[in-house]
Amino acid sequence: MNPPNVFVTAQSLDDIVSLDPAEGFELSSQQTFTAVYQRLIQPDRDQPARLDPSLAARWTAGDHVLTFDLRENAVFSSGNPVRPEDVIYSLSRAVKLNRAPAFILNQLGWTAANVDASLVKDDPHRVEIHWTAELGTALVLNILTSPVASIVDERVVAAHALDSDAGNRWLKIHSAGSGPFKIRRYIPREALVLDANPSSPAGAPRINTLILKNVPDAGTRRLLVEVGDVDMARDLGPDQIAALGASRSVKLLEFPSATIHYLLFNTANRDNPALANPALWEAARWLIDYRGIAEKLLRGQFLVHQAFLAEGFPGALDDTPYHLDVARAKQILVRAGLANVHIRLSVFNQPPFGDIAQSLQATFAQAGISLDILPAEASEVYSQVRSRSEEAVWLYWIPDYFDANSTAGAFAFDPADGTKTLAWRAGWHIPGLSALTRAAALESDPQTRISIYRNIQTEVQRSSPYVIALQARTGIVVRSGVQGYFQGVDADMAYYDRVSK
Amino acid sequence: MSGNTLRVLIRGVPMLLATLGALLLVTFTLSSLSPIDPALQLIGDHASASTYIQVRHELGLDASWSRQLGRYLVAVAHGDLGVSRSTGQPVRDDLERVFPATIELATLALALGGVGGIALALLSVRYPNALVDGFVRVISLAGNSIPVFWLGLIALLVFYARLHWVGGTGRLSDAFEYTIEMKSGFVLLDAWRSSVPGALADAVAHLILPVLILASYALGNVTRLTRSALKGEAGKEYVTLARAKGAGRTRVLLWHMAPNVSGFALTVLALTYANLLEGAVLIETVFARPGIGRYLTTALFDADMPAILGATLLIGACFVVINGLTDLAVKLADPRIE
Repeated sequence: MNPPNVFVTAQSLDDIVSLDPAEGFELSSQQTFTAVYQRLIQPDRDQPARLDPSLAARWTAGDHVLTFDLRENAVFSSGNPVRPEDVIYSLSRAVKLNRAPAFILNQLGWTAANVDASLVKDDPHRVEIHWTAELGTALVLNILTSPVASIVDERVVAAHALDSDAGNRWLKIHSAGSGPFKIRRYIPREALVLDANPSSPAGAPRINTLILKNVPDAGTRRLLVEVGDVDMARDLGPDQIAALGASRSVKLLEFPSATIHYLLFNTANRDNPALANPALWEAARWLIDYRGIAEKLLRGQFLVHQAFLAEGFPGALDDTPYHLDVARAKQILVRAGLANVHIRLSVFNQPPFGDIAQSLQATFAQAGISLDILPAEASEVYSQVRSRSEEAVWLYWIPDYFDANSTAGAFAFDPADGTKTLAWRAGWHIPGLSALTRAAALESDPQTRISIYRNIQTEVQRSSPYVIALQARTGIVVRSGVQGYFQGVDADMAYYDRVSK
Repeated sequence: MSGNTLRVLIRGVPMLLATLGALLLVTFTLSSLSPIDPALQLIGDHASASTYIQVRHELGLDASWSRQLGRYLVAVAHGDLGVSRSTGQPVRDDLERVFPATIELATLALALGGVGGIALALLSVRYPNALVDGFVRVISLAGNSIPVFWLGLIALLVFYARLHWVGGTGRLSDAFEYTIEMKSGFVLLDAWRSSVPGALADAVAHLILPVLILASYALGNVTRLTRSALKGEAGKEYVTLARAKGAGRTRVLLWHMAPNVSGFALTVLALTYANLLEGAVLIETVFARPGIGRYLTTALFDADMPAILGATLLIGACFVVINGLTDLAVKLADPRIE
């Protein structure tokens, strides 16, 4: 048992590449950024569609400019005050380092060459943020809620800079933020130890120490939480959760996750002309055993969801018009003259993708479509998709920030400038939908934006080379005395500051 | 040290270097044939094309294969194993952190399993077809056939979760884990040196299960092979002669047969030790302990070339050194071997 002011979680930390907010883009890193850093504004934890001031006290919008008044007396964990220079340094540094999440800020039209001119200090507490891209204020505000827009303590980070790395090597394993916690020690692949930051403008957390332990084996994580040596266990399989069902000492917390699972047909693959045939896409919609996969095969881990915006995002469609109907699919294929269709299906070589692929193989075979499953390591699958060499692939999608544009800009946007979005990767040329997606990005009225996104989702759901099938659910087991943990729909929304036990 | 021993040791140095060079070349070639794209592995699927190109350049992946190999060899010659792409830390620092943990685990397991295995093999040959022989057969079969990750989980369930006799995962309880400075990397030594009350006992409590389970694997291996070797000696003429001269069974076993299989037993022990050093990955995973096996496996999944090469080099060096020392020990133990 751990002391009451120490909270310990058992999870896999093997995914962490970096704890620098300008670089880390993995689940465990993103969740840590919420604990350690603050952004100017952040989604409200209970109603994420609403923005809460964080390091900014208030903001005003102009034409392609936002002016933020910084919160008075806000300090970093080092004791340094939060200044406009820190905001400018943090955003500019993220663009110039050009690591994995930099593309989120690049959407504002920022490049290493122009970002400095886009960020202007007005007075000791005010900073202006300009952008050149054709984006509405609502979207820009949401982009600034992304973890890559976290504000770091310039004086501390710059003091640890080596060569031209802007402190990146140091910040990979240290912290310089103003969030409710600060990193005491990070031992890669072993543990991340966070101490409370009582001076955080977000308020002091209720616990003194948060220890995230790397326990790679799910069976071991289950035992640890059952015995009480950890207070929380993440990523337990359905069997482990079921086995803990009878225990009174633990309870299961369930949160919707924004992760969407879908099937993609690569219409750019000329070796298999069937892939570009909309009749195949339509037949495929009736050939997935959505309920069987969500409720039996992978029970408890997924919901049936058939639109690209995850439930929990403003404007997400929640209707599920498709179900397994082999006869209907056969009719569609016969009408289109599609016979003897063979498709190579690429999938990740890890659970639950193999199970899902086998279910697809069985149901597609009933309509005469033969699927050859090609399991491969994740980066190999990504490589195939980026080079458009695969035929079909089962993928998942996690939005990069809490705005519909993050997902619509991938699924329903194929701009003429050659940006390689998901639609481009599917070989799906959609000038009409792309214009609609651009219009939604420019729109500042929330209701009008929602209405446009609903139309786009309906169109993608009806006819597109994607068959969107499932939305993930996050199940977390905690000791029964644990109170106050909350997890939002997006990847970074893990809130430990109100946890007590 | 005799001049002969010294000569053998010196002759081994070029052999060590040649083996390590060949090992590097093979590992480097195999890694570069892998379909895994290390840049995509690092930045994921959403990153922009410009980030992808930049990261590939920083990792040196845009250079030719021979140039990449050349750069790496030059760096290794300067003692620089590079920076791990997945932990972001120098590979040397990573290895210094994880390797002592593995040495500690493997050495304790070998000490228990080796001594126990040889004792059981002797008992089994001394009392053939008795209860002890049957017991030894079951033990050696079990040690070789029960998967260690399964045994680890069941042992945790019974002795940690239900009976609370031993510590759980990790090397220390959380109360000690982040307060004791791990200077040497050997948890028993660091806990003892720290003088923190209860730390040493806690470290022992966390070591018992993984050591016993790895020892059971070692014990199975050592017992089975040593027993077969001893059985092979049992029918030989010198044994019959010794018995005819009136020597007791125990005396024949310990003074006549055992020295004849000592070279073989040493080889078995050495091979078992080498296997324990790199093969403890499942135990390290189940018990959430740091170690070279898990470090290498995770690096392989991440296509983290500097970490893969660094860890392979270290494990390879251990194999070569252990084999070399064993050859020497066997020669010293058995003068018939040239």
